[in-house]
Amino acid sequence: MTEITITGLNAITHPYLEVWDWRIVIYLFLGGLSAGMLVMCSIANLRIPKQPVEELAQCVRAPLIAFIILAIGAQFIILDLGKPQSLIWGYLTFQPLSLMSWGTWGVPAVLFANALYILAVIPKADRPKLRFPILINLSEKLAPWMRPIAKLNFAMGIFLGIYTGVLLSSFAAIPLWNNATLPILFLVSALSSGAAMIVIIAKNNDIKFLFTKIDIWLIVAELVIILLFFYGLYTSTAPYKNAIAPFFSLSDEHFIFAIALIVIFLVLPLALRIKLGELKEFEGGIHTEFTKSQIFRMNFAASLVLVGTLILRAAIVYAGQLTKLSPY
Amino acid sequence: MPKYVMVIDVEKCIGCMACVIACKKENNVPEEYFRTRVVEEVRGEFPNLRMELRSELCNHCENAPCIDACPTMASHRAKDGTVQIDRKKCIGCKACILACPYDARYSHPKGFADKCTFCDHRLKEGKKPACVETCLGKSRIFGDLDDPNSEVADLLRKYDSSVRLEFAGTRPRVFYIKKKFAGGM
Amino acid sequence: MSITRRDFLKIAAVTGGAVAATTPAIKSVLALGRKPASLPQFVPTTCEMCFWRCGAIAKVVDGKVVKLDGNPIHPNSRGKLCARGHGGIGLLYDPDRLKTPLINTGARGEGKFKKVSWDEALGFVADKMKKIKEKYGAESIALLTHGTVSTYFMHLLQAFGSPNFAMPSFALCRGARGVAFEVTFGEDVGNPERLDLQNSKAIVLIGSHLGENAHNSQCQEFAEAVGKGATVIVLDPRFSTAAGKAKYWLPIKPATDLAILLAWINLIISEGLYDKEYVAKYTNGFNEVAQAVKEYTPEWAEKETDIPAKLIVETAIVLGKNKPNVLIHPGRHTAWYSDNVQRQRAVAILTAILGSYGRPGGIYLNPKKKLEPVFLSEKDYPDHKPAMNKGKYPFAGEEGVTHEIVRTTLTEEPYPIKAWFITGTNIMKAMPNQKDTLNAVKKLDLLVAVDMMPYDGVMLADVVLPECTYLERHDDFFTVKERSFGISIRQPVVQPMYETKPGWWIAKELGKRLGLEEYFPWNTFEDFLKMKAQTWGIDYSELAKKGYIDFPESAKPYLAPGEDYKFKTHSGKIELYSRELKEKGFDPVPRYTKHSQPSEGWFRLIYGRAPVHTFSRTTNNPSLWELMEENVAWVNAKVAKKMGLKNGEYIVLVNQDGVKSNKVRAKVTERIRPDCIYLVHGFGSTSKLLHRAYHRGADDQQLITRYAIDPIAGTVGMRVNFVKITKEV
Ligand SMILES: Nc1nc2c(c(=O)[nH]1)N[C@H]1C(S)=C(S)[C@@H](COP(=O)(O)OP(=O)(O)OC[C@H]3O[C@@H](n4cnc5c(=O)[nH]c(N)nc54)[C@H](O)[C@@H]3O)O[C@H]1N2
Ligand SMILES: Nc1nc2c(c(=O)[nH]1)N[C@H]1C(S)=C(S)[C@@H](COP(=O)(O)OP(=O)(O)OC[C@H]3O[C@@H](n4cnc5c(=O)[nH]c(N)nc54)[C@H](O)[C@@H]3O)O[C@H]1N2
Ligand code: SF4
Ligand code: SF4
Ligand code: SF4
Ligand code: SF4
Ligand code: SF4
Ligand SMILES: [Mo]
Repeated sequence: MTEITITGLNAITHPYLEVWDWRIVIYLFLGGLSAGMLVMCSIANLRIPKQPVEELAQCVRAPLIAFIILAIGAQFIILDLGKPQSLIWGYLTFQPLSLMSWGTWGVPAVLFANALYILAVIPKADRPKLRFPILINLSEKLAPWMRPIAKLNFAMGIFLGIYTGVLLSSFAAIPLWNNATLPILFLVSALSSGAAMIVIIAKNNDIKFLFTKIDIWLIVAELVIILLFFYGLYTSTAPYKNAIAPFFSLSDEHFIFAIALIVIFLVLPLALRIKLGELKEFEGGIHTEFTKSQIFRMNFAASLVLVGTLILRAAIVYAGQLTKLSPY
Repeated sequence: MPKYVMVIDVEKCIGCMACVIACKKENNVPEEYFRTRVVEEVRGEFPNLRMELRSELCNHCENAPCIDACPTMASHRAKDGTVQIDRKKCIGCKACILACPYDARYSHPKGFADKCTFCDHRLKEGKKPACVETCLGKSRIFGDLDDPNSEVADLLRKYDSSVRLEFAGTRPRVFYIKKKFAGGM
Repeated sequence: MSITRRDFLKIAAVTGGAVAATTPAIKSVLALGRKPASLPQFVPTTCEMCFWRCGAIAKVVDGKVVKLDGNPIHPNSRGKLCARGHGGIGLLYDPDRLKTPLINTGARGEGKFKKVSWDEALGFVADKMKKIKEKYGAESIALLTHGTVSTYFMHLLQAFGSPNFAMPSFALCRGARGVAFEVTFGEDVGNPERLDLQNSKAIVLIGSHLGENAHNSQCQEFAEAVGKGATVIVLDPRFSTAAGKAKYWLPIKPATDLAILLAWINLIISEGLYDKEYVAKYTNGFNEVAQAVKEYTPEWAEKETDIPAKLIVETAIVLGKNKPNVLIHPGRHTAWYSDNVQRQRAVAILTAILGSYGRPGGIYLNPKKKLEPVFLSEKDYPDHKPAMNKGKYPFAGEEGVTHEIVRTTLTEEPYPIKAWFITGTNIMKAMPNQKDTLNAVKKLDLLVAVDMMPYDGVMLADVVLPECTYLERHDDFFTVKERSFGISIRQPVVQPMYETKPGWWIAKELGKRLGLEEYFPWNTFEDFLKMKAQTWGIDYSELAKKGYIDFPESAKPYLAPGEDYKFKTHSGKIELYSRELKEKGFDPVPRYTKHSQPSEGWFRLIYGRAPVHTFSRTTNNPSLWELMEENVAWVNAKVAKKMGLKNGEYIVLVNQDGVKSNKVRAKVTERIRPDCIYLVHGFGSTSKLLHRAYHRGADDQQLITRYAIDPIAGTVGMRVNFVKITKEV
């Protein structure tokens, strides 16, 4: 028996870390969602025939919504900062090893690229809605560059998606986070949530169906990567192995994580099942408008994906802080 | 550049906790938070027991993950080689707190990250850190390892030493010596 | 020494200007328009977070104490303070401090206090005292006191005509040891104990839980000795911190220590391991001892103590081999069982036959320095009826016996006690059997408390007089008898907060109202100190600046080889066999007494210290509370398993008289014998005015409804209570 008594403990680090909370969860979720949407709507726009770009832009609202989502997400990390008034110091340096620094610079950069993209995809008819002549002007100038800008946003989306994962995995002191699978998992689930969100917001039937199809692959990939993630940790050394324990015991005081995992494994396959059903239904292509119940079904499946993604992030952020490298 | 290190002679710690509170007072550490702690570890079964008492604090790692994690250079290596936090630059993102494998840091109620400074303000006045000064057991020994005549250099020459979580690769500057007791930590 | 009032005035006039030197906060307004950085002031003083009385240096910035450090030139601190010493700031700035005089308007103990002026409070007390004196005589006012405040109230009450005072430091603390060593060596081992730990090669700790018992320099030397590889032998039913440093932890069955001590004495004599020359030269009665201990074999001791005979022999050899550089720690809190003095006598005898008294690594000798006594006044105390404060105990000490005050109050034998002053002691926590205390309190016409904090005892008072803390006042000089002699000063490092006043002021003002002005012939206490310094030929301003003055020439720690040394006993020799005890009808050589042991399902309640608290007095200290908010009940892991107890679970302890403790968390641990439960003393306060301490943890004293009295000196045995564990919280 080993008895450990410690005098002088900080509540935020003992018995387990309580450093990052729901604010970071929301940040990561919204960041990932925005990233996924950027990637997805870039794909949508890159798919369209070469000429003439301007009139054919698809997913025109998606970049705008992605922008808003990321902007809101960023508010949550600012909300988490102890001293946001010092943020200026983050912009007086770039620290390549600090993921926070990547975020400090990266998020505004993504927002910037995203803004260009919004302007570039706005259909001619809608441009007057921009109100400010400068913006209208800019929008006109950018429209021909829509394709390269979409490529840029695709890249930015991938960056943002990976970033949300690496932000956690960079912490060597936190066994659950500190592995190479996590960024990939976060990227894939970000893409999946992005696709789901597009399914929800899209008006165009083709787009809705396209992303339903894409999401099928992403969900499958996500489920596989989740399993790999746990397997990788399970086969690792003690602290890493211990780190996943809360996910696999309902009798643990942290049984909520086991429940989270169960929910993820109910929700995502259910979404998958529904989507596969749709795939079968529309095997022959889409000939008519979707019925209300079809739309509901699609949106419902997409919502399940969003819920799954959110739970995944929450579970990993919180569970990660339960286990550390040191034995106490 | 000096190489300030602390050597902890585990055998001589008598668990008086003077260090814990002296540090708090010296550095005006806010309520509920600590920059140093004392761990008492007892192994075995009645009546065959073994106790180890060791104090822990920021290791002023040579390879400090907390510095790497910091976006603003608030966490930095000072000129004297110690790891310090510039409160002005700190945005309170807490990344460094998560990055430290030793739970050496906490979040100050005023928003910035905080931790042991090796009492650099005292070093500048030619004094020893507050916890070392008051250590009843003289279990905490502080000095410049680059000075071959220092007590710390002498102790580390004479005795086997270990650092906490060596495998983490942080290269701590707080060394533990055990003259009598065996076993890992 | 007689000092006239005129002398006082003269000295005061000369030195009056220097008073300001000790008050901090110089505010220099620079013309720069910017607030200048305040320069810290460093004011030396003497700690009173416990009775070790270390030299401390306060760092004061803008009139606020920000840090306390050990005074490097003070031998009790050596530049270091213990946790509690550092926590003095917490006491000073505890918002729960007593702030104004209070008068209880409800029934006694109800604590319905109303704030009153000093004038009203003192007037009230003086009136009552006069009435009691008229009706019952001045002796009917008793004083229970501890700490430096005692100086003034013992003086006041003696001037008033009562000799009846008692301090916990005798019967409840080191009395038994003091008597045993006085009987054996002619003097006690001092306070701080004159232990040459740093040079010891083998150290025996009987209970003494150094590290948890945080007496500063003693801990420093213990660690030093451990670092140098001294062999430590610890007798303790609990794996204490000190046991963690020991080569031999002997988890002795409580109440049987005398068995092992006698077996050791027997072995050391029979194996010829004793210091023959020393014994021959300095001691008396060796043969009688040798004869008397023959029956105490290691095999016999094994049965009594649960310690294997093999280990008893092995450790005896360690002691013999390392003699005379061996320290059998004489203990301090020795109020354990009914045979405290005899147990301590065995310690003294063992010390003597190992030749370690006056030898390196043993007990060093008192420094040699004579100072003219200087009294608070030159006026004699009035005559009075014989004191009752020592009861019928032939060896009771000058500090008095606390339970005699309680007993006399209850029985009115030999005469009634109608008022108590409680100054600097928490009568509810220090003294056993709280019911007796409360019943005695009910019989009083007046109960006055002089304290800094509303601890439990204070809540019983009719009148509460708030003393300022040690950081805000002068007190009498402390004469330190370490290896060399020295003098330590206490002086205010900040001015008293709220309406609190120093003890000397309270006593003097009360004296004034009792017509005893002549007993307080000084204006401020500093005047008195200056006069005292002058009498002693020391430079007051130097003392005030340095905090401590040492007289290195006074040191004479060890006996020179072959030195003729006269011990302060009747025979001038170490009395292994005590004729004095024999004459008064007690065993001249300790004989083993068997004490009852708990039956199945019951546990002996034992207690001790936590390094970060002092008795009950720091349980509300914000700085220290943070490190330990409540005590825990140590329960042996196997016992806990059998009972289905989980670590950290709340339990309630019930003693043999059905008294239930407050709820307390169980510490399930391998570190204690299965037949004991251990609590850190001082917790479980019942005072609602304490925002942190109130109802935190369990009070060991509450469960100590029984106590055994040592007939030799009236010292108390408090480890004679049995408890069981219940889970109903
Ligand atoms: N931090 C701190 N330090 C203090 C104090 C404080 O309040 N706080 N108070 C000071 C004062 S005034 C005093 S008197 C001292 C008291 O401190 P000590 O003199 O060291 O007190 P003891 O009663 O000898 O020691 C308590 C130990 O005795 C063990 N014990 C209990 N019963 C028995 C028994 O039958 N036999 C044996 N061998 N051991 C037993 C307990 O398990 C515990 O470990 O501490 C002083 N130092
Ligand atoms: N059950 C049990 N009983 C014990 C002990 C034990 O271990 N267990 N230990 C025994 C021992 S060894 C001792 S020495 C005694 C200690 O007994 P006490 O000295 O009575 O100890 P405390 O319980 O700390 O109560 C001290 C009171 O004095 C007040 N006080 C402190 N400093 C000052 C001051 O400067 N001025 C004034 N006016 N008041 C002050 C505090 O606020 C508190 O109310 O207890 C003894 N009783
Ligand atoms: S111990 Fe932690 S805070 Fe200190 S330098 Fe190392 S990583 Fe940084
Ligand atoms: S909390 Fe402050 S010191 Fe820590 S990483 Fe963030 S900015 Fe740097
Ligand atoms: S070196 Fe200073 S800051 Fe660090 S633990 Fe010691 S006292 Fe605290
Ligand atoms: S001050 Fe020294 S001896 Fe005391 S607990 Fe701290 S490290 Fe240990
Ligand atoms: S031992 Fe600690 S509490 Fe006692 S006087 Fe010394 S510093 Fe103060
Ligand atoms: Mo005591």
